[in-house]
Amino acid sequence: MTRALNSSFLRAAILPVGLLIIWQLAVTLGSPTPRTPRPTQVVTAAWQLIGNGDIPLALLQSLWRVLAGFAWATGLALVLGALMGTYRSVDRSIDPLVESFRPIAPIALLPLAILWFGTGTPAAAFIVGYAAFFPMIVNTIHGVKSVDPQLIRAARTLGVDRLTILRTVVVPGALPYIFVGSRLALGVAWTSIIAAELAVGAKAGGGATGGIGQMMFVFYAYSVDLNGIIVCMISVGVVALVIDRGLRRLEQWMMPWKR
Amino acid sequence: METLNDAAPKLRLRDVRKEFVLPRTGERTVALEEIGLDVKAGEFLCIVGPSGCGKTTILNMIAGLTAPTGGSLELDGKRIEGPGAERGVVFQDYALFPWKTVRENIEFGPRYRKDSTLTKQQRDERVRHLIDLVALSGAENKYPYELSGGMRQRCAFARALANEPEVLLMDEPFAALDAQTRVILQEELLRIWGETGAEAERRTVVFITHGIDEAVFLADRVVVMASHPGRIREVKAVDLPRPRKPEVRASAAFQELVEHIWQLIRDEAYAATVRA
Repeated sequence: MTRALNSSFLRAAILPVGLLIIWQLAVTLGSPTPRTPRPTQVVTAAWQLIGNGDIPLALLQSLWRVLAGFAWATGLALVLGALMGTYRSVDRSIDPLVESFRPIAPIALLPLAILWFGTGTPAAAFIVGYAAFFPMIVNTIHGVKSVDPQLIRAARTLGVDRLTILRTVVVPGALPYIFVGSRLALGVAWTSIIAAELAVGAKAGGGATGGIGQMMFVFYAYSVDLNGIIVCMISVGVVALVIDRGLRRLEQWMMPWKR
Repeated sequence: METLNDAAPKLRLRDVRKEFVLPRTGERTVALEEIGLDVKAGEFLCIVGPSGCGKTTILNMIAGLTAPTGGSLELDGKRIEGPGAERGVVFQDYALFPWKTVRENIEFGPRYRKDSTLTKQQRDERVRHLIDLVALSGAENKYPYELSGGMRQRCAFARALANEPEVLLMDEPFAALDAQTRVILQEELLRIWGETGAEAERRTVVFITHGIDEAVFLADRVVVMASHPGRIREVKAVDLPRPRKPEVRASAAFQELVEHIWQLIRDEAYAATVRA
């Protein structure tokens, strides 16, 4: 078991490590300009930024915004999705609205968000929630529709009323799809928070309290620190990976009946 | 038997008719026409017939899952309007909740039905009793996917019994099982139904099957159906002594009944097979 784990971990590590070596070789053997980031310098910068708390604080700030946005979007999407998946008439009247908003990129809502909510957390949560809403609702509808009708009939013959059936049969039956929706939603939420923070970075002034996106903006616009930008990018990727793996764990824990 | 015959029927089907409208063409088909049938309290009634004769539709209407197009269905003289806990259903595909363990599946009715009056302790007792009754001890914390077909069937049966229904409706419950398991479960079913006990203690059972020997082995009466449109061809009383031992299958009386019913549906069974 451990050997299998180790070998799969090693296999996953081959590509990134190889790319790092090629990168370092290219920098060492070529003719680097001051704007060429180097792995060694990136590591030094990362050490510094983690050590003084800047990166962890910025990530926490961004994560908090993502969670706030994800929470309201998920709440709304679950209720609407359950209704749309259950009642065809609700589906027919809401679906065109959902589908016509869906192609509008979250970042295109930024001007509106700033005008309405300013440049702080509410605006970010608005953008993030908007992004997370669509994968969530589409998967919830699909999940509710995919529940085996025979199970609902079985519950009815056992004398259970509709509302209880929703809670005890429809929700657990739709759960696998809701999890797929959550993973996609958190992914796009995380993507759009960086974009949103980058875009409002100049106005808000940046620093760790502005989130990871604003931090990147400061590295770009004020200190022109390429290594810092790379560190931010890598930490964004790492956090996304951790979120995804965490959700998969949660999924296995919450759905032990899934092989 | 005398007392049973004189009592008012438990279930009464009067001129029950069912038509389906094909959604694509709008064409109407008559699935069942003018079904009249009384089921006595405590009776074990089997319905046999070729595929497509509408036997499952009859069961669904008694369960209250489908409404008849015409006629009426009554339970103790009261019209059946929808599903109810006093009519338990065992489905052919078991329909167990995949996210619930064996005990949670069995507990489902008493726990979630709107009019349940049981305390948690009474519920636990009943579930434990049922797990013993259907011989699932040791498997109570397993999920359905971890069970064999026979175990799933027993779990579905226990789940239906957990509400203590007056009428038990079973839709080809053993069809998906292998032959040995089927024979064993038939005998188990008669034991649990209370074959050895007093007649007054027995539940009313309506059992759908296409196995003629299964029907004869289990039933007090066998309803033989014909198709296109679905209708009752003959109702045959099975006067084999109870409790029925496995040896009864080899008896001349048993074979005669099976042969008689087989003759009734043979032509249609052939036609249905070729058509399918």
